[in-house]
Order: sequence, then C-alpha cells, then structure tokens
Amino acid sequence: MNNKPIGWNGKTLMKMLEESEKYIKETKSYYGIDKLKLKEEDPFKYERAFASLRGALVSARETALHVAASPIVKEIGELCFALYTPEGDSIVVSTGILVHVHTMSEAVKFMVKQDYEQDPGINLGDIFLNNDPECGNVHTTDVQTLIPIFWKEELIGWAGGVTHQIDSGGITPGHDLVSAIQRFDDGTYYTCRKIGSNDKIWKDHMINARRSVRTPFYWELDEKCRLAGDLMIRDAVLEFIEREGIEYYKQFIREVIEEGRRIFQERVKERLIPGRYRAAAFFDIPMKEEAWQPRAKIDKISNQPLEIIIKNDGSMFLSFDGASGPGPNPMNCAKGAMEGGQWVLLTQVLIYGDKVNDGAYFAVDTDYPIGTWCNPGDSSLSYQSPWGNLIPAYTGMMKCLSYGLYSRGYREEIVPGYGFTGDAIQGGGIYSAGPLKGQRWSLSTFEISGQGLGASGVKDGLDWGYAMWNPEADLGDVETWELFQGGIPYLSRRVKPNTAGHGKYRGGANYEGVAMIANSKEVDFFGARDGYCFHGSGGMHGGYPHATGYRLYAKKTNLQEIIQNQKEYPLGDPDPSNGEFEKLLEGDIVRKKNCTIYPIILENNDMIYYALSGGPGYGDPLERKVESVKQDLNNGIYTNDLVYNIYGVVAEYNEEMGEWVIDKMGTDVRREEIRAERKDKSLTFDDYWEQERWKITEDMLSEPVKRMYSESLRLSTKWRKEFLEFWRLPEDFQLEVK
Amino acid sequence: MSDSFVIDEDGTFIIGKAITTPEDESEGILNSVKDALNYWDKTLEDSGGSVEALVYSGTTMINRLLERKGNSNIGIIVNAGFEDLHRLGRALQCWIWLDYAGRLHAREHEHPKPLVPRKQIKGVRGRINFWGEELIPLYKDEARVAVEELLDMGVESICVCLLCSYMNPAHEKRVKRIAERIMKEKGKKIPIILSCEHNPVRGETPRLNALIIEQYAAEPSRKLLAKIAETFKEKQVPAPLRILTTYGGTISPYHKQLITTLVSGPIGGIIGSKFIAKEYGIKNLVSSDVGGTSFDVGLIMENYVPTKWESSVGKFILNIPMIGLNSIGAGTGMYVRYNKVSGRLEFGPESAGYRIGVCNEASGVETVTMTDCSLILGYLNPDYFLGGNIPLDKKRAYKYIKEQLADPFGVDPERTARGALDLIEINMKNHLNGMIQGLGFRPENYTLISFGGAGPLHVAGYAKELKFQNIMIPEWAAAFSAYGCACADHSYRHEKSVDLLVSPDGSMNEIVSMMLNATWSELKKNIIKEFEKEDRDPSEMEFIPSIRIQYFGMFDDLEVKSSSDNLKAEDVWKLARSYDDLFEQIFRRGTKSPDLGYHITKAVATGIVPVPKPKLPDYKLSGKDPDKGANKGKRKIFWEADWHNASLWEMSLLNPGNLIDGPAVIEAPATTLLVPPGFKVFLDKHRIFHMEV
Repeated sequence: MNNKPIGWNGKTLMKMLEESEKYIKETKSYYGIDKLKLKEEDPFKYERAFASLRGALVSARETALHVAASPIVKEIGELCFALYTPEGDSIVVSTGILVHVHTMSEAVKFMVKQDYEQDPGINLGDIFLNNDPECGNVHTTDVQTLIPIFWKEELIGWAGGVTHQIDSGGITPGHDLVSAIQRFDDGTYYTCRKIGSNDKIWKDHMINARRSVRTPFYWELDEKCRLAGDLMIRDAVLEFIEREGIEYYKQFIREVIEEGRRIFQERVKERLIPGRYRAAAFFDIPMKEEAWQPRAKIDKISNQPLEIIIKNDGSMFLSFDGASGPGPNPMNCAKGAMEGGQWVLLTQVLIYGDKVNDGAYFAVDTDYPIGTWCNPGDSSLSYQSPWGNLIPAYTGMMKCLSYGLYSRGYREEIVPGYGFTGDAIQGGGIYSAGPLKGQRWSLSTFEISGQGLGASGVKDGLDWGYAMWNPEADLGDVETWELFQGGIPYLSRRVKPNTAGHGKYRGGANYEGVAMIANSKEVDFFGARDGYCFHGSGGMHGGYPHATGYRLYAKKTNLQEIIQNQKEYPLGDPDPSNGEFEKLLEGDIVRKKNCTIYPIILENNDMIYYALSGGPGYGDPLERKVESVKQDLNNGIYTNDLVYNIYGVVAEYNEEMGEWVIDKMGTDVRREEIRAERKDKSLTFDDYWEQERWKITEDMLSEPVKRMYSESLRLSTKWRKEFLEFWRLPEDFQLEVK
Repeated sequence: MSDSFVIDEDGTFIIGKAITTPEDESEGILNSVKDALNYWDKTLEDSGGSVEALVYSGTTMINRLLERKGNSNIGIIVNAGFEDLHRLGRALQCWIWLDYAGRLHAREHEHPKPLVPRKQIKGVRGRINFWGEELIPLYKDEARVAVEELLDMGVESICVCLLCSYMNPAHEKRVKRIAERIMKEKGKKIPIILSCEHNPVRGETPRLNALIIEQYAAEPSRKLLAKIAETFKEKQVPAPLRILTTYGGTISPYHKQLITTLVSGPIGGIIGSKFIAKEYGIKNLVSSDVGGTSFDVGLIMENYVPTKWESSVGKFILNIPMIGLNSIGAGTGMYVRYNKVSGRLEFGPESAGYRIGVCNEASGVETVTMTDCSLILGYLNPDYFLGGNIPLDKKRAYKYIKEQLADPFGVDPERTARGALDLIEINMKNHLNGMIQGLGFRPENYTLISFGGAGPLHVAGYAKELKFQNIMIPEWAAAFSAYGCACADHSYRHEKSVDLLVSPDGSMNEIVSMMLNATWSELKKNIIKEFEKEDRDPSEMEFIPSIRIQYFGMFDDLEVKSSSDNLKAEDVWKLARSYDDLFEQIFRRGTKSPDLGYHITKAVATGIVPVPKPKLPDYKLSGKDPDKGANKGKRKIFWEADWHNASLWEMSLLNPGNLIDGPAVIEAPATTLLVPPGFKVFLDKHRIFHMEV
C-alpha cells in the first residue's frame, strides 16, 4: 500500500487524470495549455527533444525484435512501443502496429481509475500485463506490457509495448477465433495485472501463462521482448531528464500532446471542408449453419452507420449512432479498440508526417453508443475477433474523409476504403511423419497484412499491400511460413482475377492460395472473411466495391492418384463458375458463400483454398482508359467476361503475340450499349423509394436484415426517428424477428 | 567521374580523377590512374609491374538496376502456382524503401515494376517440402513445355527457383537436365541458372530476386569488368583485378555471383574502419560516413563485423550476405523546408546530391540544403569548395534561408540554419545511438570514426552528446572508402541453408556434426574451384568454416566461427556455447534461451588468400603548435547561439603532433573539419585527428 501519492506535486494519479479530463472538457486544449511556451522559446531545442524521444522508441523496438520469438512478431514486426504520460496519454510512438498505441492508453487510464496506486500499488520496477479488451485492448491475442517510469518519487510516465500472439489459449487454436461466443472462450485474460516487480517477471505468473496457451514458448519470449523494449524506453527517458531537467520534461510532454492536437486540427483545416459527412457500412456474421452452440446459431449483419462532423476549427465529431447490437459471436468490439482504429487511420491519412501522439485523439469527439457492437459494455461477451466489425466500420470514415479531400482538391489522397484483412486461415495439427513427428504445428500466416487498398482520385489502388491496422504489409515467404506450419504446404500463391473493385481507377487486386494437408493428423481448420455482404462502405463516385470472399475446400480427394499419374491438380479458382477443384479433383468439394466458418477437421490430401481481399474502385468503370483495361487483362487482374460486362471493353487474346488485343470499335459500341442498358434499368427516386418501402412494410426483408434494423431501431431513438421519417412509417412501427 | 586511389607501401596515397566513359569504362579508369600517377611523376607503363593489388568498386551495376536499364530478356521457371512470386514481392517491397512518414502514409506505397514480364515466368508442378522430402514429383512434361516456350520466346538465360530447393536441389537439377536436352535438340545454348547453386538460402522471394538481378544488372557488367582486367594486364600489371563485394571481401570478375558486388560504395568505409581498429587495437569501433545523400553507420564489435542477410536494393529484397550497415537519408544535399501547417522544419527525403544547394546557382537548385546552412554559418569557405572548383554564393544562400525558413519562423537566418543542422545532427546521433544501444552497448564502450566528405564537418554536432571513448577523423576522410577497398581480403564466401536442429538433450549432435562437415566440404570444393580459376594456389588459402545459428523458434541468427571443418558430435556444444556468448555480447538485453535448443540455419564457408594491404602512413610527431604557414587567418563561425572568431588552417600543412583548439576550421580541398568552441583536435602520427569535447 502506498501512502504518499505518486502523482505530480503530491497529487494522486486519479486526481491528475480527473484534472486532465476536466481541462480537455472545459478548455478543449490539453491541460488547458494556451501557449506552446517551450516551442516558442526555442523551437529547435523543442524539436530536438521530440526527435530524441522518438529515436529512443524506434531503437527500443528494433532491439526488442532481436529477442522476440513468434514469427508474427519477428517476421512481420507485429510489435510497437509508446511512451505515455502518468495519466496514460501517448506522447511519442515507435513504428509498428500503431493501432495499439491508443489502446494501451486506455489500459493505463483503467489502472488509474481503479486506483492501482493504492492497491496493488505502482512502484518502480513493477510490470503490468493487459490483454482485456474491456480496458483498452483489441482482443486477447494482443498482449500489452506496461511499466511505470519514476523520477525520484514521482511517476512521470509509462512505457508500453504490445505484441500479437499466435495463440492465447482460446476455445480453438488460433489468434482470431470464429467460434468464441463468450468471454470464457476467448482464452486467458489478464486484466491489467501486476506480473512482476524489480524489473523481473514473477515465476508464478510465468508458470501460469505457459500453462494457459498452446504456444508457451512464443508467449514467454514475446513477454521478454516487450519488457526489454519497455526498459530501454525507461532508460532513455531518465537520460533525457538528466540532460534537459525534470521541469522541461514535464512541461514538454504536455505541450507536445497539445501541439499534436493543434497540428491535427490545422491538417484538418488544410485538407478537409467543414460539414456533415455520412457513410453506411455492413458486415455479415453468418453463424446459423456454422455455430456449434445453440444460442449462437443466428445469421447477423452489423449495421455500421457513421457520421462525421468537421467543425470550422478543424476539430471533429465522429458517431456510430444507429449501430446494431452485439451478439453471441467473437466480433464484438470494445470502445478502446474502436478508438485505436480511429486513431491509426487518421494517422495514415492526415498526420503521417507530423507529431504522432494522442493529440489527434483529443481533437476528435466520439460517440460509440453503449449497448451496440462498438461498445457493448458487457464483459461477459466474446471480444476475440473484433476486427470483424471494426475493419469494415472504418471504411465509412475513410470515405467521409475522402469526400473532404476531394472537395479540397486532394484527389491523390482519396482512399474510398480498403480490403478486409481476411482470409485469415487458421488452425493447426500434429505431424504424423518426418523429423518433427509428434510435434504440433499451428497455422497462423500473417499474409492477411497484404490486402488491396482502394483507388485514389488519380490512380489505381495498391495491390496486395495494405492492412488498416499496420501499413507495413509483409506476406512473408512460403518457405518461412512452412517452417511453422509444414503440415499444410502451399501448392500455389498467385494473383486472383476479378478481386479488384471496378472503377475509372480500379481498387487494388489480390491473390489466392491453395494448400494441401500432408504428413499430419488431428488437423483443425477455420477461416474468416466477408462473404454475403460487400465489405464496408467500398467504392466512391461510381466506383464498385471489391469482390467478396467465399469458402472452398475439398475432402477425401484423389490427389495422390492425380500426382502419381502426373495429372493436373488445382492451383486456384480463377473462374468459380468453372472451378478447377470441381474439374480436376474427385472428392467432397465444399463451396459456400459464408466465408467465415467454424473449425472443420481435415486429413492428409485434403485441399483448402483461400483468397485475399481487393480494394474498392473510384469513378465510373466506363471511363477507365482502354489501355489500362488491356493491361489489366494482360496482368490477369480481370477476366475477359468481366471486362466486357463492366468496362464495356471488347478484347481478344492473340496467341501469337501472347497478349490481349482491343477491338476499339467494338468497345465504343459496347460502352454505348451499357449506357443504354443503364438508362433502361434506371428508376426515378420516388419509384425506387416506393419499391424499397414496400419491402419494409410487407415484411419482405431477409431475416438478418430485419434483425440488424430492429436492433438499430431499439438502440437509438435518434436513428429510429430518422428511419421512420425517411420511410414514412408509423410511430409504433416494429420489425418482427423470429 | 572515375576516381582512382593509388597507395604505396608506406601508406602514402594519391587520388586521380577522369571523366567516366560509359561505353568502355576501362578507358576512364585508365585515364584516372594516369591522372593520379602524374602527382608522382610516374606512368602505368613504367611502374605497372610493381602493382601488387588492384581493386575495383563501381556503381555501374547498381545504376543499371536503379535506372531499370538492365537486361530483362530472362526466362524464369518456378513451381506452378507461383508464377506471380516476382510481382507479389512479398508486399513489403512497396514500402521498405520509404522513410518513417512515408511508411505511415499508405497512399505513397507502390510496388516496384517487375524486372521480368509475367509472360516470361513459367510454372511447373512438383513440390519439395520444408525438410527436403519430395511431396509431389516434378511434372517433367510441364518442365519440357516451360523450357520450350521460353526458348521460343528467345530469352537469353533461364533462372530456375523452386520452393525448398536449398534443402533438396533434385527438382531444380532435373529441370536443368531437361533444359539441356531440349537445347541440344534445338541447337541452342543459353545459361540455365539454378537457385540451389547460385544462392541456396531460404526465402523464395529474395532468392529469386537475387537470381533475376544477377542476370538483369550484374551479368551485363561481366564483359566490362573483364575488359578492365584485360586493360591492366596489357599494361603489364601482374596483380589480378578484384572487385569489392557486399560482404567485404574481393572476388574476381569471373565469379558466378557477381551480384555480391552490387553495392560496394559504403562497404569500403567499414573495411577501412576494421583495418584502423586492428592497427590501433580498438575492440569496439563505430564507423560513420556522411555523404551527399546518406549517413551510413556500421559497427565493429569485439573485432566482429556483423553480416546481415536480407536487405533491400533498388526496392527489391535480396538475401545476399552484406556487411551490417544501416543508413538514413541525412546527407549534405538534403533539402530543408518549412511546413506552414505544423510550423516545423522538414528534411528531405530528396536531396540535391552533387548539385550542392542554392549557393550553387548554376545547378538550378531552388530549395535550401544542409550545405547552404553550413555555408552561411561560416563553416565552409566559399572559395575553397572542392579546392575552389565550384565557387559558392553565400549571399544567395543567406537570402534563400531567410525567405524560405527564417522569416516564416520569425527567427534570424543564422539561428535557423544552426537549428536545422542541430535537428539533422540529432537524427544522426539517434541513429548512431540506436544502433549501439540496440545491441545493448553504450557509446562509452565505443570509439567513433567519422569520414566521408562531410563527416569532419558534422562530427562535432552528432557526437557531442554521446560519450565516445575517442573520436577519430582520418585526414583522408573524403577518400576513406576508397582506402578501405584497398584493405579488403581476396576471399570467397559461400553459404547454404541447412536447418539443423540441436536439441537440448544433444541427441541430434551426431547428425548435426556429420551434416555440417559434409556441407563445409562441398562449399570448400566450390571455393577452391574459384581460386583455381584465377590461378591462385589453393594451398595458400585460409579456410574459415562458420555457421549461422539461432535459438530454436527465434529468427535472428548470428554467425559463429567453427574451430574445425571436421567436427565431432561433442564439438556441436562448443559451437552452441560460442553462440550463447556472442548472443549475450551482442544483444545485451536479449534473453539467452539455451533450453529451447538451437537451430543452425546456414553453413558458411570463407576462403581467404593473402594479398598485400596498405600500411598506415607513419610520421614523427612534432610539437603541438602548428607551423605558421598552415594558418589561413580567421573567420567568424556561428555555434550554438553566437558568433565566434575561428582560426583557419590548411589541413595538409598541419604536422603530426599539432593540437588545434576550437573555435577553428581546418580546410582541405575535399573536406572541412569543424572544431567548435570548447572542442580540440590532435593530429596523430598516422595523420588521423582525434577530437575531444
């Protein structure tokens, strides 16, 4: 028990946090700072100070990578560090999975609000571990280590590091589970728990942690890695204070956050136009057929309506009012994770070259309505794969910002959305032969970090190279992944046609993979991606969303016979209507639209297929340059039928030249034809409105759609009012869901 | 420009320059050597016979890659289903070349354009698994079709890169046999290059890149290098031409892996540093090289120069061994701008490079650079830049700094210029400190050596806050990298992924030792062949067997030398213990984890044949006061917040033993050493300055 407060000037941490929140509320500026005194007095010293702190974080991350173990951390760099104020606001951050920078901030605030200062005490050398989404984490597989930094007897900050684990001991192996439906399925929970003192992790914790997960040594090494980085940050901060003085440090960390807030607002003023922006986005969670647990057997769609208000002073208000409810599925998303997602995207779009810290967070007011999927406020729910909701939901924000960027003329900065970071194929098995016989392998490729990015207003989107939570994508080499998941060797990894959203500028394209099961037993397999609904809010100014995913696998195959006879085996699924699996294989071939599937059992010679996501397009596809379409054909980005149907381009493959040749006249005619078809099909708004209203009043909506809207109507009176007004429905209107 | 660096047995050296002749590089090189020898009143004809070593390092290859002007008429055979391997580029090729802000800003990311068009890449069914067992036999008919199609296209070479061929090369070799048969039938002959022979190392993306770039950028240089070698032979130079590699050795132009000479610019500096470390008996030395566009840092730890595998060159990732150098874009040509939104100065990422800055009006540069800042602060002599060849316009620099930077800030131009340099120098400092601390050391454990044309100008700034044991600045800082080239060994380094597991109970040691011995023996044979090709006597060769090893499950392997290439089972523990020690030494904060067991990733073999190396110049020490003739008067310099009256010196006229107190500026045609107030420098008997704060 601490008797003497550890906050500044004899205050408790709780008091400091209350004050800081009060200042923000009343003055809108961080700690009520009106003048950036240090910056004004000596701007160069001030910038030097920032550079040296950031340098310390970047090198902490580099060092920690050397001692990290899990392939995700080392190979893909799924690690990041940040320095926080005593109240938990981020001052400066390293590179890496930046989505977590703000989430750790919520963990510190949780500890402060729970008065950890009194019990269990916050002392020099203490180590805290957190992976609870209810106190500022994304999901249990993201694990945070936080240590307090003291100067004499005062707490002057926190160093925090986070890594993504391969496994956290959930209901099935894996890191983004689909079959978790309640907290108790999510795996081991550490709710801001003290796990060490005197810079040492306690033995009892380590024993417990090892026994709580399926990959104990990755857990242990990554834990050491986070601690090593945190300790380096602490040293660097203390050195900084020795050089610049404690008073400079204290003033500096607050000014730097306030400056971050101001720069953010200035960037908003520079790049966007004030006003009210709105976007709709959806995500399907089809569990009726899939779920094992009776109460999880429902098909859901998440309603993810977003409104952003850009104010004249450059501040922002962001609201998910009208969002549908949480459910017995792992996609529920806590508020801290939502804030993390918001922050990481604003960093990428607006303040990438500026001071990246929580200043941006303070410039944005948010409304994540309680009781919805984006802030359920119920810790008994599962939060294992909140990305399922979070990722599509923020495509709406990107679209809103893109409208602003477009209005200001920043067409090259437009991002009308991005691909979902699926298909996260997961599972694992045991080697039944070979030098590792009897050992467990786990399938946890992080190829999902390379999705398609949306087109901009001046060029095509980035192919296979973007994840919203970490802009540094890395597919990893097959030869490296197989060291860890050698029981599911790859048979292909190649560009998949027709994944890119259509448009004058197409979205990023992506690839597909085929793998077989070999030398293994007891193999579990599952995966997750958008399937029934187009992902998020994709497409802008006439651009199309990218293709949705689907599930394809084959069991009890004749693969060995095919191989023995040197016959062709499938290498992909370029044309699902004429599938290679069906054409070349015998066996039980499963092809279904719900891409998110519960674990299935696979055996040797079974084959699985997966495909990554493209990005949405921008502008009318009929305006795409014919030359670009030709290139798409030659590069296998689109197939001829789609090019004909959507781009109105008539082309023929010339065997001799080995490339596609465009029929220019035919193309002109075809494009006119499409325009005429569009005209024929078009309705007046009134007719369209009538037609859609009829579906509502006559109970013609599908069950998941009704469920979604009924939840939104129940959860928000504002949204309900608008819905009823728009569709001219009676006050007592209800959507009945069986 | 083609530069030549000629050094005699006493360590005295001269530098020659001549216009580069791109069609026939040997001509420019010869002219450059002639120019140098003029200083000694010698010609190549009369003294060529006494040349003992001849080392080349150039940028033709790398430029071919950067400018995308190589030979893309290459056929590629990969596993069926992996025909897009080259263009997928593991995704990270779209950002790995960007700076911090660029990496965050996803909109800037862009994949490099593939070097080989997709239609020249063919797939063949078959699979070897990760432990080297055949999972699916090679589909011979498909291989035949692939080869025939590529030959029909008229490709000039075929590269074969199949998954896990580093564990089992059978499929690649079978493709080669098939290709040879078809070529015979068709009466054609083109090289078939196998990844298992070229670079048998795990990681199919960088392995294929290495194969492609070898053909695309390196192979076209082979003739050129042979021409240079011939030219010197014609002049009766007995020493064979050797080319500097990325791993710090030198090889003949006939070596199959010319790609290992792709990047050699900054490598010379670290070899030179290693040489200095040895001569001075320094265990831990950090080398820092400030050029026009970058700041390169390399570490020598306990006489060990780390090698790294994966690196990115011209936006492509490669897995060729490379001396562990880390660079940031912070050179003297870097642009400095004021950002009105954030009210901050921004640096680079572009650089004016050889065009210097706004002070060089003829260059057309309109944005202030670091050199402009140094000029108005009095550090540079406007009439003595490159010996006076390029006159600098100080007034123009002042005007631009005032308008572009100082006025928007509301601060005077001198303070702004100094502030800008401070920020760049602190980034350099962070970079240095990050590398040292990143390995668990502190600057107090290290000596710093600074070179490159602008190293001496900025070293006081970037080193002042770090408590190095000593700061060394060779008088020949501007030519130090060239000097380093001359210090390089004649050596071949071959390696192979082996993926051997050493279990904690030692039960695998027998197999591990057998496998290592067999691999070293195979690699040794290849190296002997290399030397024999050059008529070198292999019996003179020193053979160094090593391994790359890591704790099982970890990813960071380190290189450990083996005392023998004929290990017994119990010797495996010796290797493991050496790794434990090295791991602890390098990653001080790392966690030794021998209980996990070990994973030997690669067997490495290096063969070195002795070559003559330069000596350090050695002079008698004279008194600490310089000769009067060395003094060039006084000039005002701005440091911290004030003007100071600095003494000016001509570098070449200072004598070993002289001590110069700051504020002072010591000028040479190719470099300027800034000694700020409170600093002093001492010139030692080898003509290396030592700076004290």
